Amino acid sequence: MPGKRTSINPPEANRLCKRCEIQESLVVIRAEPLCRDCFTRYVHTKVAKRMETFRVRYSGIGQQRKLLLPISFGVSSVTLLHVLNHHLGLQQEKTGRTGFDLHVVHVDTSDVEDNTAGAALMHVVQKRYPRHTYSSILLSDVYDSEEALSVLNMLEPETNKAIEKHTALHDRLSALLASLPSATSRADMVQILRTRLAVRFAKLHGCEAILWGDSTTRLAERTLAETAKGRGFALPWNTADGESPHGLAFYYPMRDLLKKELIAHADLAQPPLAPLLWEENRKVAVSTKNVTIDELMARYFETVEKDYPSIVANVVKTTGKLKAPVTSADDTACGLCHMPLIEPRFQVEQRCDGQSKDSMQVEAPRALELSLCYGCARTMPEDTGLLP
Amino acid sequence: MAPHICQLCNTSRAQILRPKNHARICAPCFIDIFEREIAETITSTNLFQPGERIAIGASGGKDSTVLASVLKTLNDRHAWGLDLVLLSIDEGITGYRDHSLDAVKRNSVEYDLPLKIVSYEELYGWSMDQVVAQIGKKGNCTYCGVFRRQALDRGAAMLGVGHVVTGHNADDVAETVLMNLLRGDLPRLGRATSILTSTPSATMSRKETEADGGEVTITNVKRSKPLMYAYEKEIVMYAHYKKLDYFSTECIYSPEAFRGSARTLIKNLERIRPESILDVVRSGIDMAKLVPNAEGHPKGAAEAVIRNEVEDEAEGGCGGSNAKEVVSEMAQMEQKLRQDEQAEEAGTETEIKLPSKVLDGQRHDRDLKPDLPPEAALTTYVQGQNHDRHSQTDGQQLPSDIRTVPIRTKQEKKSSRKATRDAPVPKQRLGQCERCGYLSSQAVCKACMLLEGLNKARPRTGIEVG
Repeated sequence: MPGKRTSINPPEANRLCKRCEIQESLVVIRAEPLCRDCFTRYVHTKVAKRMETFRVRYSGIGQQRKLLLPISFGVSSVTLLHVLNHHLGLQQEKTGRTGFDLHVVHVDTSDVEDNTAGAALMHVVQKRYPRHTYSSILLSDVYDSEEALSVLNMLEPETNKAIEKHTALHDRLSALLASLPSATSRADMVQILRTRLAVRFAKLHGCEAILWGDSTTRLAERTLAETAKGRGFALPWNTADGESPHGLAFYYPMRDLLKKELIAHADLAQPPLAPLLWEENRKVAVSTKNVTIDELMARYFETVEKDYPSIVANVVKTTGKLKAPVTSADDTACGLCHMPLIEPRFQVEQRCDGQSKDSMQVEAPRALELSLCYGCARTMPEDTGLLP
Repeated sequence: MAPHICQLCNTSRAQILRPKNHARICAPCFIDIFEREIAETITSTNLFQPGERIAIGASGGKDSTVLASVLKTLNDRHAWGLDLVLLSIDEGITGYRDHSLDAVKRNSVEYDLPLKIVSYEELYGWSMDQVVAQIGKKGNCTYCGVFRRQALDRGAAMLGVGHVVTGHNADDVAETVLMNLLRGDLPRLGRATSILTSTPSATMSRKETEADGGEVTITNVKRSKPLMYAYEKEIVMYAHYKKLDYFSTECIYSPEAFRGSARTLIKNLERIRPESILDVVRSGIDMAKLVPNAEGHPKGAAEAVIRNEVEDEAEGGCGGSNAKEVVSEMAQMEQKLRQDEQAEEAGTETEIKLPSKVLDGQRHDRDLKPDLPPEAALTTYVQGQNHDRHSQTDGQQLPSDIRTVPIRTKQEKKSSRKATRDAPVPKQRLGQCERCGYLSSQAVCKACMLLEGLNKARPRTGIEVG
């Protein structure tokens, strides 16, 4: 839980770490009491296992591989940066070079979304882990038609022209979000656009893959949330490691770690990660009107994670067994989320609802150039012209 | 505030806010569109053949009552020529079933449909009250479910009917989808969203059934859910506006932790976005195509899904909550998963139970949980969980024209080491139970197995219940 800075279980007196049996345990991870060092090692090992493909020996000398790390200043993405930073340090020590370079990017949505980190923490992060490249971009940049996405260098003052352009882009994004019927649709749209923007950025900067900071818990939430939004067909592409339909590989190196474990680790890391984290102000929404589907699932798994962490892990594991259908570059893709459409989507909607004339959703495609998947048809504004 | 006009007929005042999509319509239009949507579901999936004999699984609850009413209405209206009959199961639960059976009897009179009642007592020699008195309240749902599955099929066979319809609605299907995601049960997830399921022999060689003179036996009964896309709230609304007579209550013996949890999620989802119930169903249908079958390939769309001997969803009533029970099921699963995980990390063997090997006609493992689904032939899949730690972990199939990036994990290394130690799991044959002739992949079917256990422990003096 954000804001909760206590360890998972209160330390028990005279209880030794199960693994090294030397030091006193500070946390209990999946029924094992662990000391600070062993716990830290546990976290690092879990991530390192997932980064096997990017070992030094797999990178050619002179061709440095580049990976993009989108950061939200939440505990998961910051921890990923922290661990990878250490990992790269070790690689450098042992071999004199690294298996890859990290480009950290923050997609700033604070001008259109409440309750989200602004770019201020970037300085702090950059100071602590200086070896990497850092960028901060606005979500409204997704409307930017120019080839090179303008990267805001925080030290440089914006020129008037730049300010004008950004205002225009921002207005378009705001108009789009304002046209959506519900909080869920808005949250969904922001998520989709953020992913698209990250992909575009990655390609522009020569990154071969994107490393997302999603924890086990977050992946479980995503599984259920996307199912509830009608995107079950795309689950393998949204949660699995490997090539994504965006033309880039997606990896989730934190997928074996639970959110609560990461929170505990953030306290025990040396130095602690707290100054780098953005404290989410989770207001307890009494009315269900503004709770989004994503939040609903987040709260649900927060509860499940407390007592039944293995069930959370099992959900992710199960989803991992779903086999994505084989697709080719010729397949139509959803105009919004870019997932491959194996079957035509609009007809399906009609069959479910019968020939209902009372249907409130805009089922019939207005602009036939845009094919949409079932889930995006739900989120979609009436005026598809508002889309980037 | 000016009263709203019905969005469909544009004449009457709109009294109803439709749960499915918040449309404002009048009552007659609602009844009309509800019926039309079900008709559309039936015709677009070719659910029924003209002149077919259909048994309606009637519990007296709202779903089956509405189902009976709508089918009767549509049958008359569209002249489908269906031969409808009501089929009711008496589990022998005092205070629950006896009241709802009265409702069914009233329905039978009202819709002018013949009624057949089949009781557990007459089929098996045990009523549910007696079973619970014997084994307590844990695991009693398994018995009820197994018995009910057979009871419906047997009842249908007695009537000479090859197709049973049940009142499962969209909420039920959505709950099942979420529940199976939470439980990590892929095969059931694959089956949960099929509107039509059949026993294997119904889809197998026609020669066998023809040899019997085309008779319906308990081995070839089809099962379908015409209300699959109808919202529970709308079913209640329909029953209300048509003043249908039903009896609603929750089965007193049952909670199920995962289903209860899934049910809460569905209710909350509905509040946030009413369309999400159908969205979950839609996702479930799509995901079913991605579930790998025994050979590891995605299933693809299958017309008639073959159901397992023990079906998945309980009918209607199961869903009451008993906090203690709710905790225990999830806690059990948590414990099991954790043990497996620890064993894996420690490099030791996990307990792998193969599908029960039948020697001398007797099962030699003490596992009384549901049998393995046929697709589990090549994986070890017991108690609804996959015990095969060595199932391929390389994840999804990648398009062949894209360079694959392998991720070798510790798990994979272990699996290559242990490959020789795993005996190949024997494929399950589909045959008949030697005791009762019911379809079974074992020599003795599930129900006979359970009964054997019950009968052995039955005290000599009879126990009077209630």
